[in-house]
Amino acid sequence: MAGTEAPRVEAVRLSRFEQLPWRRIILVILGIIVVGVVGIGATRTLTLGKAEGGYSAGAWRDFVVQGAAQGAIFAMIALGYSLVYGILRMINFAHGEVFMAGSFGSFFFADAYEKSGFLDRDPILALLIVTAVAIGVSVGTAVLLERLAYRPLRNAPRLVPLITAIGASLFLQNTFRGFFGPQPYGYPKPVVLAGNITVLGVPVQRIQLLVLVVAVICMAVLQWFVSTTTTGRSMRAVAQDREIASLMGINVDRVIVTTFAIGGVLAGIAGVLYSLTFEQVQFTMGFKPGIAAFTAAVLGGIGSIGGAALGGFVIGLLQAVGPPLILTGFGIPSVFSLKDAFVFLVLVLVLVFRPGGLLGTGEAEKV
Amino acid sequence: MPVVGTDAVLEVRGLQKHFGGLYALSGLDMDVRRGEIVSVIGPNGAGKSTLFNVITGIYEPDAGDIRYGDASIVGLRPHQVVKLGIARTFQNVRLFANMTILENAMVGQHCRSRGGVFGSILRTPGVRAEEERIRERAKEALSFFGKRLSGYRLEQPAFSLSYANRRRLEMARALATDPQLLLLDEPTAGMNPRETLELRDHIVRMRDELGLTVIVIEHDMRVVKGVSDRVVACDYGQKIAEGTYDEVAHDERVIEAYLGTKAND
Amino acid sequence: MAASRWVRMGAAAGVVTIFLALVGLIGGFTDVYLIGDQITFAGLMLVLPAFAAGLVAAAPRVEGGERHEMRFVEAITAAAVAGAAAGAVFGATMILADVIGVERIRTVFLNVSPQLMEFVTFGQATLVGAVIIVVMSTVAGVLGGALRVAPTSVRRPVTVAVMATLLFGFLQRVIPIALDQLKLERDWLYSVSFDGLTWIGAIVVGAVAAGVSVLKGRFGTQLRGRVAGIRGRTGPAVSPGVLVAGVFALALLIAAPMLLGSVISEVLGTVMVFALLGIGLNIVVGYAGLLDLGYVFFFALGAYSLALLTGATLNAYGIPPDPAISGHLNFYVAIPIVMLIAAAAGVLVGAPVLRLRGDYLALVTLGLGEMVTVLVGSPWLVPLVGGPSGMRGITDAAIGGLAFRDPQRFYYLALAFVGLAAFISWRLATSRIGRAWTAMREDEQTADAMGISTTRFKLLAFSIGGAIGSLGGALFAVKIGSLTPASFQVLVSIQVLGLVILGGMGSIPGVLVGALVLVGLPGLLREFEEYRFLAYGAAVVAVMVLRPQGLVPNVRRSRELQDEERAQDEWAKAAEEGETPPEIATATGATT
Repeated sequence: MAGTEAPRVEAVRLSRFEQLPWRRIILVILGIIVVGVVGIGATRTLTLGKAEGGYSAGAWRDFVVQGAAQGAIFAMIALGYSLVYGILRMINFAHGEVFMAGSFGSFFFADAYEKSGFLDRDPILALLIVTAVAIGVSVGTAVLLERLAYRPLRNAPRLVPLITAIGASLFLQNTFRGFFGPQPYGYPKPVVLAGNITVLGVPVQRIQLLVLVVAVICMAVLQWFVSTTTTGRSMRAVAQDREIASLMGINVDRVIVTTFAIGGVLAGIAGVLYSLTFEQVQFTMGFKPGIAAFTAAVLGGIGSIGGAALGGFVIGLLQAVGPPLILTGFGIPSVFSLKDAFVFLVLVLVLVFRPGGLLGTGEAEKV
Repeated sequence: MPVVGTDAVLEVRGLQKHFGGLYALSGLDMDVRRGEIVSVIGPNGAGKSTLFNVITGIYEPDAGDIRYGDASIVGLRPHQVVKLGIARTFQNVRLFANMTILENAMVGQHCRSRGGVFGSILRTPGVRAEEERIRERAKEALSFFGKRLSGYRLEQPAFSLSYANRRRLEMARALATDPQLLLLDEPTAGMNPRETLELRDHIVRMRDELGLTVIVIEHDMRVVKGVSDRVVACDYGQKIAEGTYDEVAHDERVIEAYLGTKAND
Repeated sequence: MAASRWVRMGAAAGVVTIFLALVGLIGGFTDVYLIGDQITFAGLMLVLPAFAAGLVAAAPRVEGGERHEMRFVEAITAAAVAGAAAGAVFGATMILADVIGVERIRTVFLNVSPQLMEFVTFGQATLVGAVIIVVMSTVAGVLGGALRVAPTSVRRPVTVAVMATLLFGFLQRVIPIALDQLKLERDWLYSVSFDGLTWIGAIVVGAVAAGVSVLKGRFGTQLRGRVAGIRGRTGPAVSPGVLVAGVFALALLIAAPMLLGSVISEVLGTVMVFALLGIGLNIVVGYAGLLDLGYVFFFALGAYSLALLTGATLNAYGIPPDPAISGHLNFYVAIPIVMLIAAAAGVLVGAPVLRLRGDYLALVTLGLGEMVTVLVGSPWLVPLVGGPSGMRGITDAAIGGLAFRDPQRFYYLALAFVGLAAFISWRLATSRIGRAWTAMREDEQTADAMGISTTRFKLLAFSIGGAIGSLGGALFAVKIGSLTPASFQVLVSIQVLGLVILGGMGSIPGVLVGALVLVGLPGLLREFEEYRFLAYGAAVVAVMVLRPQGLVPNVRRSRELQDEERAQDEWAKAAEEGETPPEIATATGATT
């Protein structure tokens, strides 16, 4: 280096172009478009008369109830995502398949009970057994997943466990396809759950009521569990700092398995509720609810139990009320066929605008 | 020794940065004049690395201003700051471990080159010449440290280097960005005494031979004494003393920050 | 106790065998003959897990920081126990199935059929069959164990021989056709009555493969050293083995359609389309490190924009699409426009999302891909893109009078584009841009601090990758001549990701290998079509857990993905073999 003249670069001026805060500009424009579309669509829909395709108050009420019930199911699945993310900082992409496994596993029992009449003779006991089976299968799947696919990769760079999860999801789906065939099976519904019931003057389907009640109970139990029991405390500790928790004598492996198992329990219950609602199981049934649930978990702030619950209900309502409210106003035919696209759009928008979730700070976690 | 210019290369005014409840910087003021070597000292947690992070755009300050030349650089992204001529090294050496030594240095020249997509695909004469220039410039920057980072070493992956050489590579990479102002974050941490003294001389050479202005965060007082034109002492995110090494070393507040107050006899 | 470990391994293998049976991989393939009329695919599936258990049971153990190689007798015992355990588990399940009743089980597990039972009991009573299974599994386990403890000079040729033989057995629909075309005798190699290899053919293939392996082992290093000496120290040493393989592969690629007939060429055409997609996604995932799960977005965009620009009609009523967004351009004029549209879309879509962290980015892109899937099939967009019935009448990319829809011709068209994309990709990777991507991938924050605008380079990767993806979509449209939304599901994104990963992220030859394996094999072996995605899923998980750098790794990536220690171990080994690593010289005080 000695002998050469000092390298000289004039103080480079950054062009005005480069200095613009592009990110903010894009976000603002996007935000305006979204708000505009929502506002215009909603106003137009609400001013439509019955003849032009508008909705009655009763229809809206049904949408809301349906959205809440769907949301309850999403919330339960979302809790699985949130818990695992809190502990491992990884999205268990295959959680949708854990949900599907429980539902599918329980189907054979439910079907047998219906054929023998047990389902209608003693629905409570029958459903309890069916749910227990679902829980068993879901938990088994979740624990196997953790043991075989995720544990070996605990310290791998970020991309690797995620890709593995995708592979696992594909594998599980097709395993069930291989075992049980590609066709959908009709899930039986006990007579006692058919039809409507009036609650506080609002007619709801009996199954919807069951879903809401069960979901709320489950979430309450989970909240109690995580905040009071030793295991719950250990889970929170490991979520905060895995290494220190192990130095404090916590068996990290066991805590992680427990977390997966709890997620499995909730997913199994959700699976039964879902199948009772839609009266169907198929090997692909985990994909869309899985995505919706993941969106819910992120929306509420991933890693947070309350957030997952809140997010679940919000997403449920959004996908039930959103398409009719916003899209009808633009004269789009068959808005309900776009329901899935709507959920995906919400996913994209949440991640773009508030990856930290509604209750978060607007910033994604610092890497 | 070249005369230290009187014009300020960097002016820091009232810089504040907090993380949650922790105030890393609480109103820091500092000036750096052209051609001088300033050492920033202070106990751990005094906010020194945060200062570098804010200057280079990794964090945005909550309040205060940083002026480089005659424009404010607050809010600029790190790659824009580098382009303007401020380069840095990291406290915990952050090399591109799986890239070769030469490649690491060539990355430094990224902000001084332009090769675009079509040029790169077609290997136009312009792009090829630029690649050559980048390569030569990178080798030049590496050769600042003598034969250690040259010859057949160039093609070896960075993770194979010894600790001291990794630190040198990081500095060479920073030099390769053709900076005006160089920020060195604890450059001698972890080096043995011989390496430390050698590096001390390198820093002075950077100013003398390359005409750089240098800010050094250091804990090793031999280095501080040997390189600094001025020393700035910090504690709790603020400047508590400023001056020559001797002035600052005997400043009461500085002693208190490092050693604590005397107990009452 | 060690024995319990072996039993557990065997039991796990037994469970795997049960899994294979339940999923249908045994029952459905009892008449797919690999060698002669004795070795069927089903039979292979039956004993493979036991073989693997034996292999693993005889593996050297790491205890207390030391590697203990197993002594021969101990290893064989371990392998035998593992194999027997596997057989016992499966046999017990067989008996249980018999007791419960096959028909009853079949109401749940569709693949448990009388035919399956017939096969696994070898036509005997269940109990006898179970015993036979135990014996066979033990033998398989022992073979696995023997292979494991055999010296490397034996193990490698044997492994290569077996794999080559199996490969030839699998390619029973492909290789005979090629031989026929070349007017070569084939009846000695492939049995006329059973479709698989003849025993003679199997032995010959195995012997030749083993021979090649032995020769390579003996002379390979010498040759490499001599070549390195000639070329001097400059530049990365390309081993002659790789070079020869490369030339051979290229020749094969060019000659394939002529050798293999139009049915197989059609499959190869699809392979090429997916290879093209793989090259594009490789830029996004492999070079820039962005996990994109919505690549079908660009695929669909390319396909539909090409269709619209070249005058295709909406299938629903055979009506022409909206004139505002369509035209009647020539294919070759439309292609650059299609790519530009995709690149622009990539920038528009990428700008708000690319700053997100890995997992989130993956899901956002998944969401975007899904949206496109739903939209192209939606009733809403029927007037634009034809909805569920899609579009038809797509150009056949004719130049002069030469049309390209014929399978063999299309293959060459696709191959040309693959070559172009590979060239572009390679040039970018070895340029300043590639360097920026690598730095970004290693340490995004530091790269930013060193002057690389991460936003810009992420966008660049995303849009270039997207443009190449759209090229794949356009080619796909030409190949089929029509478009339906069914071709644009999320599975496409996952398939392309799968082949990039299997082949090795960041490696272009790897993408080709991945495409051949994941798209070509299922296409050529029609019976396995149903199990394609099961295999994908398993392959992805296996690769990630066992060999994350893929089959044909990019050297730098394998360094990134494996433990640094392992790479440094090799460094140390090189030092032992004579060359003092530079750092040691410094440590001894020599001034440099």
